[in-house]
Order: sequence, then structure tokens, then C-alpha cells
Amino acid sequence: MNKLNLRLMRLIKSSKGQFLAIMAVIIVGLLVYTALNMAVVNLKNTVDYYYDLTNFADLYVQVVKIPAKSIKDLESKQSIVKAQGRIVYDVPLKVEDEDEKVNVRVISVPDSSENINSLYIVDGEAISNKAKDALVIEQFAKARNIKVGETIIPQIGGKQYELTVRGIVASPEFVYLMEDEQSLLPQPDKFGVIYVSDEFARQSFGLNDGHNEVLINLKSEKDIDKAKERLEEELDKFGVKRIITKEEQLSNRMISEEINQLKNSSNTVPLIFLGVAAIILAVMISRMVRNDRTSIGVLKALGYNNIQILFHYIKYSLFIGIMGSIIGTFTGMILSGYMTKMYIRFFNIPMLQVNFYYKYMFLAVLISSIFCILAGLWGGRGVLKILPAESMRPETPKVGKRILLERINIIWQRITFSWKMVIRNIFRSKKRFIFIILGIALTFSMTFLTMHQWDAFATIFNTHYGEFQRMDYNINFSKPLNDNVVKDIQHLVEAEEIEAKVEYPFEIIYGWKSEVVNIIGVKSKTKFYGFINQEGTEIELPKEGIVFSENLAKFLGVKKGDRVKIKSFIPEREDVYMEVKDIIKQSLGMNAYMDIDYMTDKLLDNELATGVYLNSKDDVKEKLGNVKNISSVQSLDDLKSIFQQFLQLSIFSIGILVIFSGVLGFAIVYNATTMSINERRLEFSSLRVMGFSKKEIYRIITKENTIMTVLGILIGMPIGRIMIRSVEEVFSNELYTLHTPISLKSYIWASALTIIFVALAQLSTLRKINKLDFMEALKSRIS
Amino acid sequence: MKVRDLSKHYQMGEVIVKALKDATFEINEGEFVVILGPSGSGKSTLLNILGGMDKPTKGQIYMREEEITKYDDKQLTKYRRDKIGFVFQFYNLMANLTAIENVELATEICKNPLNIDEVLENVGLGNRKNHFPSQMSGGEQQRVAIARAVAKNPLLLLCDEPTGALDYKTGISILSLLSKINKDYKKTVMVITHNAPIAKMADRVLKMRSGEIIDDYMNEKPIDPEGIEW
Repeated sequence: MNKLNLRLMRLIKSSKGQFLAIMAVIIVGLLVYTALNMAVVNLKNTVDYYYDLTNFADLYVQVVKIPAKSIKDLESKQSIVKAQGRIVYDVPLKVEDEDEKVNVRVISVPDSSENINSLYIVDGEAISNKAKDALVIEQFAKARNIKVGETIIPQIGGKQYELTVRGIVASPEFVYLMEDEQSLLPQPDKFGVIYVSDEFARQSFGLNDGHNEVLINLKSEKDIDKAKERLEEELDKFGVKRIITKEEQLSNRMISEEINQLKNSSNTVPLIFLGVAAIILAVMISRMVRNDRTSIGVLKALGYNNIQILFHYIKYSLFIGIMGSIIGTFTGMILSGYMTKMYIRFFNIPMLQVNFYYKYMFLAVLISSIFCILAGLWGGRGVLKILPAESMRPETPKVGKRILLERINIIWQRITFSWKMVIRNIFRSKKRFIFIILGIALTFSMTFLTMHQWDAFATIFNTHYGEFQRMDYNINFSKPLNDNVVKDIQHLVEAEEIEAKVEYPFEIIYGWKSEVVNIIGVKSKTKFYGFINQEGTEIELPKEGIVFSENLAKFLGVKKGDRVKIKSFIPEREDVYMEVKDIIKQSLGMNAYMDIDYMTDKLLDNELATGVYLNSKDDVKEKLGNVKNISSVQSLDDLKSIFQQFLQLSIFSIGILVIFSGVLGFAIVYNATTMSINERRLEFSSLRVMGFSKKEIYRIITKENTIMTVLGILIGMPIGRIMIRSVEEVFSNELYTLHTPISLKSYIWASALTIIFVALAQLSTLRKINKLDFMEALKSRIS
Repeated sequence: MKVRDLSKHYQMGEVIVKALKDATFEINEGEFVVILGPSGSGKSTLLNILGGMDKPTKGQIYMREEEITKYDDKQLTKYRRDKIGFVFQFYNLMANLTAIENVELATEICKNPLNIDEVLENVGLGNRKNHFPSQMSGGEQQRVAIARAVAKNPLLLLCDEPTGALDYKTGISILSLLSKINKDYKKTVMVITHNAPIAKMADRVLKMRSGEIIDDYMNEKPIDPEGIEW
């Protein structure tokens, strides 16, 4: 081996702690890069393949009723390849526990085999007895333990039908099984989908030869918007309620959202880690070059040129980069397979398309190499400035200047000698000092961000359920009822508070943007909501106009005082224009609110209620569970337990993030401290010769580190806050608004963890001071 | 080798330090030259310029009719690589390379190096060649440094206070080694020192003071290094 390379290998061996620490950072970065990127591609491919195989619909047209012939007629027109009518209704399902409310969406499937949104049979077979057979969606079957051959009893129009489960199926339409946009998380035991024959559905729902939904496949996805507009006009006579595009379809939207978030993380996280690794490397190499000044001089005297020597140091960082990236990308590749499987199981896709994309492995090595070469170049540029003749002479001592603090006599005189030394040390090597502080600050802010997110989920939940929504129970009717119903319910349960509500989906349009949301109508002085506007003051609902939740306003680009168009899904209703009177904070979900009287007056026909909110100590679930016309009784406790489950899932990912931050913090502090001890061998040796004990030297270093840790944490706080706010910006979507106050607990936890990381790194460097041979260090000028 | 009006000025703040003033002399191939002078007399500056590690402010150096002082950085590197061997006061070996590897580090990049094992044998390190610098005494380290310089097969061996960090006995043995190399390999050897007795072993002596060459003479009868005392 080339002797210069041999020197490099031995150099690496002798600094393996630092080497491994930086490599760990690179490994983490590229592991995340490869795992996430491949998972994104695999997930996307699997979903696309699934959609392709099952003929996923481009458009869903919901109408009041459309005859079969009119559907057939659509097919000949322009870009429409296939149109397929079906019947879709949500009905209650009869279950053993009478108190439990379970709803199913009954969907009809045609006889032909080439369908849009065709089903994938997981277990059992297709419908054979058209009058008695049903297919059940997999998630629901699993959650409720429904097996092939069993009987399920949906209640359709007040009548109970006993159907035999012929098969368990998966559908591309319900990869993510949620009832509607307002559900925050899937509840597969409370809401399911069953498929029945077209004949059965038409008879039981009394639609004769009609359907209430049309699925459409287009020639090309580019035509979706045009087709939507045209269909809206053409099918107007059948009472178009709503047209949903593939993009807007709930399950598909949730998956795309997830894929997008993965994609965002797949590039930002690795960049942070590689950036940090590159900075540590650059600093480390620049220190190394300075320490190797004489050796570099000798190499130059021997006839090595600048490029050869510079490359010697670049190789050091390149070696770390390549090793780290190979290890990282391989583990990432393995992990991506598991990740894709996990996602696909979570999303319920009955097939898996996992491929290894060597492109990402190649890119991982390439990106890492580029970062490391740049770090090597930047760090090693000092090689060029070393003149062989000069490098043989001892370096001129640093100019000892008085620091500012020394001029302030009152303070300076009260500081003990060893503190004076510590403070001077810090101020005289500002670069090193700043590097370590920034390292600690970064560690703190990463940990802080993680701790905050953990905290934020709980905070969001507590503010939403408790401060914002203050009802114990949220009761929904199966159909709108006269608002006298409130009095009826009061007879059934002892209610402390009860109010009627109206909740309906509408399309809200502002400029070219539009969004379908539920508008909720409650009394203007409602007891069940705490509406707080953006200025932080609690408001009542205005008697006229509408109030938006913050994320809805942001999504539509609406400001207080703007007028928006509200489009109803009730056929034949004119659009209504309304002024946005205020914008309120809402951390979960996206909604608009109105005074109930104004809402029924402007948007609905008569005084109706779609449900009630109520506070009660009574056993509401039992008393109202069986009442006809009540479709669901949701209590705060139910929501809390759903949320607990969700939190448990995220403990794992939070843990991983904390470990990642720890790796980062350890690498930075360990390397910085090691470098600093190496550079200060002479200084420490002189102290030892003067009679300082090892303990006293530890104490000096500990004091320095304490000051730096405190400053690092202080600087990390604003950095962490900026990180938190930008993460909130990126990850807020229609479901969550992650704008939560940062709690003291996050500060304390993050500080404690940072101190632990710093202490661990410092402990592993103590050995180096212990081994310090001060006589040798003073005598020898061999580098 | 011919040196004409060689000067070197340093800018130190507002003052110009004249480290070398119009040095002019000639050296023949195969000579053992000692440059003698107190510290600060400009001898290191002269050596650095002769070795292509530094550039003069003015003047010329000719080596076998080639004008070294005209060289650019690239040519100087090549010159150091193929024509010059350096021996430093503090040996300056690579700490994490063994004796033989330190020599190989130098020979790997030059055109016609000598047989390394032979050279190490000649400097008396045949059985120590796989030791690291930290496992060797100062004298041994300096022998490695000399082997490193010699094995390159240079035209000129430049030694900057080679005995400066060594005790008397070891110093003498190093000087004997240099003398041996001068005779066996027929290399021009140039030693700078502030130690006057060493001048007795030289073929030619250049005395320096305050950047000027104040004496330039040939020894009629150079004595054996073993006979030097200080």
C-alpha cells in the first residue's frame, strides 16, 4: 500500500472514536434517506399497481337517482371510458351488544367481472346468491371478527336483512377506512363496508332500476377537471349532490398525504445529518491539518505536492463518507422492505410491490461522497498555506489579549483564578468555542423538537376535547329531526346541558380554491364550544355570517371580512354568499361554524337538528343506545381511548428520533472535546508540570463544558422554536393544526437529555486526559 | 553548485529583516560542506533556499547548469523530490509509520531510489526497521531520517543541525554516518551547525554571521568525525 495511505489507515485507527462517531451520523442520515425514499417509491408503486388492477375510479358522482339507461349513455361521450352505477347508503348494523352503535356502508356491486373499483377477494368467494349474499371489507371483518359463512344483519329502512358473509374483500376505495372527512382516525370496529348484489340493493332501498352513485373511468387523468364540470351540468336533472375526483377521494387523499410526508422527511432529515457530519468533518480536518503542520512541511520537503497532500486529508473524510453511506444505505434498504410492509398492512392493500432501487443506493453514496469531499476540501485548504521552511519552526504563540471582561474590574476581581482561566480559555479560542456551542445547540433543538411533538399530540387532544369541544357526548341522528327532539331526549336522560346542532357538509368556494367541510350550526352562546379567535379572545358566534377554523381560512386563503360562496349538496339549491366574520383556533379537523338559526334560515329548509350535544352524569350510552333515529353516541372517553392507542404507536417513532438526536449530539460533543484535548495537550501538560492535579484539570474542562452547555442550550431554544414552527408549517394538514404552545416540560426534558448526551460524550473523553503523558507532550515535537 | 548574490528579506511588520545578504559561493560535487554560524546568522535560510523550500528575494542558484531560482512551485516540488535529501534537527518522522515505511514514504515518489534495505543496513538499523519512531532513541530516529534522505538518491543532502537534539556520543556517530554516506554514495553533503568543532571534518567550510558569508575555505586535511570533541 502507498505509504501515505498507510499513514491514513493508522490515523483512522488511532482516532477511531471520532471516526465512528461521525460515521454514525452519516449512517443515520443515509439510512433514513434510503429507507424512506425506497418506501415512498414502493408504496406509490404498490398503490398504483393496486389501483390499476382494480380499475380505480376517476370520478364519483353522487346523485339523488339516475336510471341505468342514462348511465349507459354517458359511456359513449368524449373522454369517458366506462360509467358504472351503484347504490351507496350508510345504515346501522345489528350487533350483539345492543348499546353499541355500528354503521356500515352498503355498496352494490354489478354482476359483470370488469368493474370499476373491483373487489379483491381475500377470503371466501364472490356473491352467488344475489338475494342473500354479502361481502365484507377486510378491516371491518378483522376488527369485529367476522368470518366467511356467518350472518350479518344490516337494518335498511327499518327492516332487518339477514345476509350470509360469502367473502372477505379488500377495495381500493377503502385502503384507509374512514367514515368521512370528520373522522380523525379509522375506527374499523365502528364503521365498515359491506357489498351486496345490485338487485338486492335496488329492492331493499327501493330504487327500482336506478342508482344513486356513478363511478367513472376516464381515458386520461388529465381530463378529470373538465369531465367534472361537464358532468355537473349534464347530470343536473338527476340531482347531482357532489362529484368527488380521484384526488379528493378520502382514502386516496390520506395515502397521498402520508406519501408526501414521507417524501418530505426523506430529503430533509438526511440533509440535516449529512450537513452536520460535513461540518464536524471540516472542522476536524482543519484541526488535523493544523496539528500536522510539521508533517505536512516534511511531506512538502520530500517532494509531495499540494494536491497529493490535500487529497490525503480528503481521503480521510471520503473514507468515512463512503463507509458510512454503504452501511447506512444497506441497512436502509433492508429497513425499507419492512417499512413498506408495515405501511401496506396499515393501509390494507392486499398486494405488495417491493423492489430495491439501486438508484438510491448509488445516490446515497454519491451524495455522501460529495458532502465529504467538500468537507475535506474546506477543512484541508490550510494545507496550501503551509510553507515547508516555516513549518519546521515552532508556531508563534497566540497573541494574548485581555478579554473585555477583564476590563470590568468590579466583576473580574471577584472571580477565582481557575474561573479566570476558564473564561480566558473560552474567549481566546472563539472558533472552537462557537463550534461546540452550536453543536450543543443543535442537539438541544433536535431533542426539543422531538419532546415537543410528543407533548403536542397530547396538548392538541386536550385543547380540542375539553377546551374547544366541551361536550361530554356528541349524539348524531340517523336523519335530520325536528328540533323538538331536544325535549324528547331530556325525558330519556338527565342532562345538565343540552343543545341541538346542525352539521352538514357544504362546498365552500373562495376564488379558485374550494374545500368541502362540515358547517356546524350551534346556538350563538353555546356552552359546548370555546371559540377563541386569532387574537386570543373568546368570542360568541355572530348572529349573521360564518366563522372559519384557522386551517380552513389558511387553506382557502380567506381573511376576516372576505365573502365566500357556499354551495349546497342538496340538489336545486342556489349558492349562498356569506361574510367570514371571524377566524377561530381549532387544532383538529377543519370546520366552519354558524349560529344555528341563521344556518337553518340561509342554508337549510326548516328548523332541523342533525344531533345534539349534551353534558350528563347519566349513563347516556345505555339509555340512548337503543333509541331509534340515533346513529351514534360518541363520548369524550371513547375519543380519549382511541387517541391513547394512537399515541402508543408513535412512542416508537419518537424513541427513534431521540436516539437520532443523541447520536448527533454525542458525535458533535465527543469530536469537539477530543479535538480540543488533542490540541491542548501542551497546555494541560504545562498545568500538570506547574503542579495541577488531574482532578483540577478535569474541573477546568468540566467548567468550560458547563458554560458551553448552558450557552448551547440557551442558543438552542430559539433554534428549536424555529424548527418546531417550521415543522408545524410542513406537517399541518386538513386534519391537524400543529400550532401548540411549547410547554415547560419540553424545555426541561430536552435540557436534561442534552446534558446527558454532553456528559456521556465528556465521560468518554476523560480517558484521554488520564492517559496524557505530560513529560512526553512537553518534550516531543514529533507529530 | 554555484550561488550568486543570494539575498532573502523578510517583512516583519514595518521592519525589513535581511536574513541573507548577497551570498556568493561555489560547491563541487561530492564535497562535504559545513556551514558554520551562530543562531540567527542566516544559515537555515540559506539551506532552505538551496533545498528549494523557500525562494530568495534576489540572486541565482545553479545546479549542474540549471538555474533553480527560476523554478516555479511545481518545478521546485519536483526538484525537492528528485535532487534533494533533507535531514532535520528534530528528525520529523511520521509518528504512525515504521522506520522502513518512513523511508518508503520518500522513495515512493522519486525516480531512481536506492535499495531501501541496503540503506537501512548501512545506517545501522537493519534490525530496527519495523519499529515505530516512539520505540526508538533520538539517535536511531535521526538515522531513519538520514536513511530517508539518502534512499531518495539525491544530488545534495542538506542537514539542518542534525546533531542539535542529540547527546555528544550519538552526535558523533551521526556525523560519522554522514561522512560515510558522503564517501560511499559519493553524495554532496551540506551540514549547518553552530557547533564550531564540526567544521574540522568538512572539505569546505562556510562561516556566516548576520546573514553574510564571512569566510569560505577548504580544509587541507579533514579529520575523522571520531576525533571531534566539544
